[in-house]
Amino acid sequence: MTNEDPDLKFDRSLLGAEQDMGSVQVTREMIVRFARSTGETNPIYFDDEAGKKSEHGSIIAPPTFCNSFVNGGTRPDIGLEFGDLSLFAGQSIESLAPVKPNDSLHASTKLKEVYAKTGRSGKMVFTVWQTSFKNQDGGTVALVEESFVSRKRTPR
Amino acid sequence: MNDTELYYEDLDLGDEIGPVGRVVTDEQVIEFVTVSRDEVGPSRFTSAEVAKSEGLPNPIVPGAMNIAIMSQLITGWSPTVTLRKLDCVFRGLVPHNKPLTLKGLVTDKDIVDGSPRLECDVTMENEEGTPLVIGKATVIVRMREG
Repeated sequence: MTNEDPDLKFDRSLLGAEQDMGSVQVTREMIVRFARSTGETNPIYFDDEAGKKSEHGSIIAPPTFCNSFVNGGTRPDIGLEFGDLSLFAGQSIESLAPVKPNDSLHASTKLKEVYAKTGRSGKMVFTVWQTSFKNQDGGTVALVEESFVSRKRTPR
Repeated sequence: MNDTELYYEDLDLGDEIGPVGRVVTDEQVIEFVTVSRDEVGPSRFTSAEVAKSEGLPNPIVPGAMNIAIMSQLITGWSPTVTLRKLDCVFRGLVPHNKPLTLKGLVTDKDIVDGSPRLECDVTMENEEGTPLVIGKATVIVRMREG
């Protein structure tokens, strides 16, 4: 099924509508702290000398860096009329261009799709949000998709 | 970081990536959650008290941090490969201070729009071998010629 499923009740005006998520000024310190806290071992992400020798001319952010700026709490309520239990189902990140120190990133998010699936435990509805990050030149550097599943609690 | 240069021609379906052993410490989680925010209050990720109040046995590793760690199977694999996309599904809670194992497997290779690519299955397992995070990675890899 797709979001055209007439049985799904939610605010369809939100489908594809861009919502502003704000800006992030990327610093060298942020990149190094992200790399250090996650145990990154590739020096291109934290060692200035390795960065200078690379094709990028400086350190760059690890490919999932933008993911840490996605905040699901700021999104509008889509008014889904289904289920009483919502769970985080999964996440994907596509890295389209390097992020460097002093980049200014702007994030916007949109409701990408709402669809239903029926499994052994009954009907589930998936809500997918896509957040894009653009740099100061207007180029998209990363796309993050988050999926949430809504279902009815199993009676005990 | 593995310094061995890997090329498209050298890699094939069924090739293994890793395993890589990791332990995520309390201090690393605290540093991670403050990368994107100046002030962060106690949460299920950093506070045993909050975690217990939410029905969790202990603080857990944030999802975004799990994905960052999963990505290191690729970023640490070779200087000649680049992670293009990582798609993850969370199957279990990832605890602090416990051994984790990252593994990958090349499942497909192809040239897409002139770009040599690999598709890889990636997993993060706990000590018992239970998958906590599973995913698929799209990887760009250099060719020897051209």
